[in-house]
Amino acid sequence: MTQETKVIHQILEGDTESFRHIVERYERPIVRMIRNIINNRESCEDIAQDVFFTAYRKLASFDPARSNFSTWLFTIARNKSINAMRKKRPVSMSELPHNSDAHNPSDELAEREFFGELDAGLEALPSAQKRAFVLVEFENLSYAEIAQIEGVRIGTIKSRINRAKKKLANALKEIRYEK
Amino acid sequence: MKSEEIYNAWKERRSQIDLRESFADEVMSRIYRYERDKGRPLFDGQRLIELISAHRFVKAGVVTAGVVAGLARIMFVVYNFLAC
Repeated sequence: MTQETKVIHQILEGDTESFRHIVERYERPIVRMIRNIINNRESCEDIAQDVFFTAYRKLASFDPARSNFSTWLFTIARNKSINAMRKKRPVSMSELPHNSDAHNPSDELAEREFFGELDAGLEALPSAQKRAFVLVEFENLSYAEIAQIEGVRIGTIKSRINRAKKKLANALKEIRYEK
Repeated sequence: MKSEEIYNAWKERRSQIDLRESFADEVMSRIYRYERDKGRPLFDGQRLIELISAHRFVKAGVVTAGVVAGLARIMFVVYNFLAC
């Protein structure tokens, strides 16, 4: 029995406070995933709270024989993100995270331009491609885990990721040619 | 800058998140509230007040119902007065 499974048993037996371990372990990956998918800094923490609340309420339905806990939690986050994307307002580039360590102004300007182009490229990806890309590139999940989260075959995930990467690579190429 | 460097820098930038410190506390307090409410009867007075004040549409509905009931009462009194 893993440490995580033990914690889940404790929670199901009434030790509510143990759920804090789950929240503290997964808060960053879940918030990051949601933020990269829906691209709205204000609402992503509220959605993430909803993810944990739903996970708590449905914890009894988690079956360790069918998936890892993290896969199960990411599936809830994926569903909440899809719902949020249906309601979301457009986001301006200034809302996107910016943390540059470039040294001179022209480097910084070029970097911002590249980042802006990549941000726009990511934002423009079809929803399913974007989710697969975010899960593999930012959360380092395996293709098998992503396929389980998305409820599709591994081959489908591979092709979604390849297409997403090609589109982002093209976005980068275009801006280099323009320069 | 090479494409790969740009890409990695971009990935790193998007991986950084500034999560508010109270995040876990907020989740836990919502869960404790949920647990507390689970044990309470569905329609006790306190819960009804909390329910009404938590949703603005419910609040608006209650106010509208109050206004309609008040108007109906006034019309009933006026009608009875005129009927005399």
